Amino acid sequence: MLKLKNVKSCFTPNSIQEAIDIHKKSGGKAVFVGGGLDITVFPNPAIEQLIFLDKLGLTYIRDDVGNIKIGATATITDVTKAPVMQNYLKGKVKIALTELASELLRNQITMGGSIARHHFYSDILPVIYALRGKIMVSDGELVEEFFVDDFYRNDLKVLMETHIVVGVHLNKYDDSFQFGSKRFVRNATDIALLNMAILAQIEEDIIKDVSISVGSRPGPAYRFEQGEAFLRGKKLTKELAEDFESFTKSNVDVTKDMHLCKEYRQHIASIYAKEMLLDFIGGVR
Amino acid sequence: MKDFKHIGTSTDKIDALSLATGQSMFVDDISFPNMLHVKFLYSSYAHAIIEDIDTTLAEKHPGVEMVLTYKNTSRVIHTTAGQGWPEPSPYDTYMFNKKMRYIGDRVAAVAAETEEIAREALKLIKVQYKVLPAVLDMEDAMKDGAPIIHDEPEIKGAYDIKHNLAAHILVKVGDVEKGFAESDVVVEDTFEVPYAQHCPIEPHVTITYLDEYGRIVIRTSTQVPFHVRRIVAQVLDIPVQKIRVIKPRIGGGFGVKQEIILEDVCAYITMKTGKPARALFTREEEFVSSRTRHQMKVNVKIGAKKDGIFNAIRMYVLSNTGAYGTHALTVASNAGSKTLPLYNKAPNVEYIADVVYTNLPIAGAYRGYGATQGYACLEQVVDEVAHKLELTPLEIRKKNHIKSGETSPIFRALGEGREGVTQYMQSCALDELIEKGAKEIGWFEKYGKKTRNGSKVRGIGMSIHMQGSGIPLVDMGAATLKMNEDASFNLMYGGTDLGTGLDTIVTQIVAETLGIKPEQVIVYAADTDLTPFDVGAYASSGTFISGGAVLRAAMKIREQIFEVAKEIFGEYDERDFVLEDGKVTSKKTGKSVTLSEIAYQTLYVKNQHQIAATGSMVSPYSPPPFAAHFVEIEVDEETGIITPIKYVTAVDCGTPLNPELVRGQIIGALVNGLSYALSEEYKFTDSGRMVSSNFMEYRIPSTRDIPEIVPIVVRTYEPTGPYGAKSVAEININGPIPAIGNALYDALGVRVHKVPYIPERVLEAIRSKK
Amino acid sequence: MKVCYSVNGKKKEFEIKAGEVLLDVLRRNGYFEVKGNCYMGTCGACTVLIDGLPYTSCTMLAAKVDGSEITTIKGIGTLQKPHPLQKAFVEKGAVQCGFCTPGIILVAYALLKNNPDPTDDDIKKMLDGNLCRCTGYVQQIEAVKLAAKMLKKGDE
Repeated sequence: MLKLKNVKSCFTPNSIQEAIDIHKKSGGKAVFVGGGLDITVFPNPAIEQLIFLDKLGLTYIRDDVGNIKIGATATITDVTKAPVMQNYLKGKVKIALTELASELLRNQITMGGSIARHHFYSDILPVIYALRGKIMVSDGELVEEFFVDDFYRNDLKVLMETHIVVGVHLNKYDDSFQFGSKRFVRNATDIALLNMAILAQIEEDIIKDVSISVGSRPGPAYRFEQGEAFLRGKKLTKELAEDFESFTKSNVDVTKDMHLCKEYRQHIASIYAKEMLLDFIGGVR
Repeated sequence: MKDFKHIGTSTDKIDALSLATGQSMFVDDISFPNMLHVKFLYSSYAHAIIEDIDTTLAEKHPGVEMVLTYKNTSRVIHTTAGQGWPEPSPYDTYMFNKKMRYIGDRVAAVAAETEEIAREALKLIKVQYKVLPAVLDMEDAMKDGAPIIHDEPEIKGAYDIKHNLAAHILVKVGDVEKGFAESDVVVEDTFEVPYAQHCPIEPHVTITYLDEYGRIVIRTSTQVPFHVRRIVAQVLDIPVQKIRVIKPRIGGGFGVKQEIILEDVCAYITMKTGKPARALFTREEEFVSSRTRHQMKVNVKIGAKKDGIFNAIRMYVLSNTGAYGTHALTVASNAGSKTLPLYNKAPNVEYIADVVYTNLPIAGAYRGYGATQGYACLEQVVDEVAHKLELTPLEIRKKNHIKSGETSPIFRALGEGREGVTQYMQSCALDELIEKGAKEIGWFEKYGKKTRNGSKVRGIGMSIHMQGSGIPLVDMGAATLKMNEDASFNLMYGGTDLGTGLDTIVTQIVAETLGIKPEQVIVYAADTDLTPFDVGAYASSGTFISGGAVLRAAMKIREQIFEVAKEIFGEYDERDFVLEDGKVTSKKTGKSVTLSEIAYQTLYVKNQHQIAATGSMVSPYSPPPFAAHFVEIEVDEETGIITPIKYVTAVDCGTPLNPELVRGQIIGALVNGLSYALSEEYKFTDSGRMVSSNFMEYRIPSTRDIPEIVPIVVRTYEPTGPYGAKSVAEININGPIPAIGNALYDALGVRVHKVPYIPERVLEAIRSKK
Repeated sequence: MKVCYSVNGKKKEFEIKAGEVLLDVLRRNGYFEVKGNCYMGTCGACTVLIDGLPYTSCTMLAAKVDGSEITTIKGIGTLQKPHPLQKAFVEKGAVQCGFCTPGIILVAYALLKNNPDPTDDDIKKMLDGNLCRCTGYVQQIEAVKLAAKMLKKGDE
């Protein structure tokens, strides 16, 4: 089955500059290819040129001061195998990524592709949201940094005409931070119908800071800011977890589709919210 | 129990290494020069008439060889169900037709030089539809005034087309109303079991070409090569002798390949053009335009006496055959005939079925064949009776299930769309299955305990089952054996190994009978030119019918060998002979001759003839295999998520001819049943379009979804089967729905009446109880 | 356009279309041991190793992997000289229809290269992208463990 029948040429540029130049010249008919999964599964007949990013040196995971720097063409498998990820937030980010999709697809899905295409079915974005990842984009000369929230608030389409995602930086959080994630799936390798992740800084049982993300297919992932405001500054107790359950139920914004009704999504999100907080209580020394 | 040399040992599957090393063995692993590629255009409307179709542009498209529509193809009404002749399914289908009956019905086909060209040309076909009101609900279909789906005059064999009834069954034994009135407790419940697809990883694929005599060769992924030959001959209106069907290795079937879908079209194209033609379904086509499981609503009412003995059972089945009636009658028959005899103590039994046409995808044969749907309800209602009488699920079943030496009037009353054949159980280990399964799952420690961990509650449930071994006095298989110089034997038989291992089983049967090694048997199957007839692989008939035919052929060879040995030894009584280790030895005189010596003598030296024989098997018996299923689940009462923890299935399939292959059939069917119970779902839009037509949406299990599985095989000896064997292929798909349903009741006291048990539904049931 | 792969150790040039996937290139060139049909990366039957790592060739753009080393099932063992994994799959009854088998064995091969002593859980995680409708997976998991044992004993 010829997937992309109008593709006439392929490029494997050696520099970001070169990649962007090809893209610009194509008049919107070229597409950057990280792993290529999305492009082959949902082929767009308008595409005439493919720009492979394999030779840009973006397949890295670096343990830097204060940051974990992940290159755009690093795959989920690369990330989950990287030494720095093994104990990052007690290994829970790694587990969240290992559960996604299947091994064969984890080998192909790149971090950059997941970010740049901003698809509803991305199970990775909620994780990046909760971790307050910083998206690195480059026009070939300068690298700009966006908080993930700001990144999608910008006019992504315009930015992506002149830039490419070169990587994502994740803060290295100290022991006062806890991470949790949950996904509602029909079976193990399903794309989540609903997922949630929470990163919380807990000092002396007080939630100092927190970020919460929600993904509800087919809507794209977002930060659940009301929920964050609700939790911030409060003492982490069983009662709080229960209060947060009902708060989430009435305030979480979830879309419905043929897979799952809205009411159940609200319900499952609220249960997940509670469970993750309860897990944190268990994790607090 | 008899001692065997090769029977009961796990001989390696004869084709396994070739498959594991990627030899080219499947239909699509060959290619011909000038081969045409066939693609289909499907109806965009659930119910419509094609007022006109313009294929001019498509025909002119460079690389297009021909475009097929109702305008230029033969109009022969037939059924696509690959069943024995005369088929019990209604004749309601044409190769191409004006009338469109579901979104996915075949409008046209293009044969072109490449798949891409064929796809492009499809877009150039202009179709003018007159859209008709559609029927998308089983109950609506039967109502007066509902749109009539099959209103063409040629239709044959449907029950009542004015009410969209493809089939109707009514079978009565005793008087159920009286039976209920005289019962101490009466329990009734209804369960709805959904559409599902078989999902063989190899989809339907067919390649046709002409042989050196201009005959059409059909190389196809089928379970029924001989039925393909007969039905293609019928549709193309050519003699059977003009067609040869070859079944190479098949990438799974599970019933969906018991159907003639691509073969007629490819054969027609080859006949018209002289060129090879290839059609290969995409995964989407496999979901929408091949076949599915019959969606059913099953109601069971049981009346029982205080002591727990059933006094009356009534089962009503409403079955959805979709747009066409393939297997409509027989699947509905089996929903009763493969379930009700299990509880033969009830003197009053009634079975009623309505099978309706709807404007939805076509149902067909699927592993379990109605029994899966029947058990989904029956085995939960049996538990409900037990609860009412304060008996345990084990006790109520032990009091009521069929036992060795017993029969049920249902065997005779309800056959394959006609009267059946009385069966007396000659092997039945149900009590032992229940006992062993219960022990393995920890029934006595766990049942009713509702162990809780936060919001998660454990529950255990069980169910018992039977199936059949082929269709009695209907299914026939035949096999031919011939002897070679080195005491190897060519076995040509029509049996159809879909990956099940039947080709291996038959080498063991021959080896056991002729005192040789299984490696000395060269199997060739199935090829309508070269192998004798066999109905094919369905109805759990492989080992029993095809294997039985092989045994009969081997017994004849044995006699022929003894005849020669008599001559050589100068002896007269073959009762003195032992056939073992590749030689005949006379116990009386100690004389011995190797099979190889016999072969040389008969082929070259004296009284030359070919030692060869054909055996046929048709049987009045269809001995049921039995199974007891036990499952432990964990259900989260906050989310409704059910997680199976451990599944035990105890099975009586007579003699397990090859234990490893038996284990493969048990686990494979079980895991399929598990995901049917929990995650597999056809989703439709309001206009009847099926929208879960890929593996992203239709969730079949992966390695990460399976619980701990413990298969237990209890060996019995079935005197009517080859070396004591009964079937094992289908039965174990029947357990998960009722067993998990019963486990859910054990954990939380609720029942979910619509399958699959998705979390939303489970949660709703939990809430409505509260 | 032209690309060059080393398939099962043999370098070869292939004429491809710029937008086509590796599966189609391989089958068109007679590598029929690569199965597959879903074209969405969801069944795993089309698995090949690309520079040692398993991918679904139905979602891998053929042009993207120009210059790569591609291994199909025939690259790890043959009928005459099977790999221990292939022997173990036969011995454990892990092959039924066999359509998914080449893909599964290739993933298992990649697993055992990096993890010679995998747990059940390791195997389940690694094989989760290869659908099999016949076996129910149990015997395949057992076969991978058996092959690990055979490999440790040096049975090559």
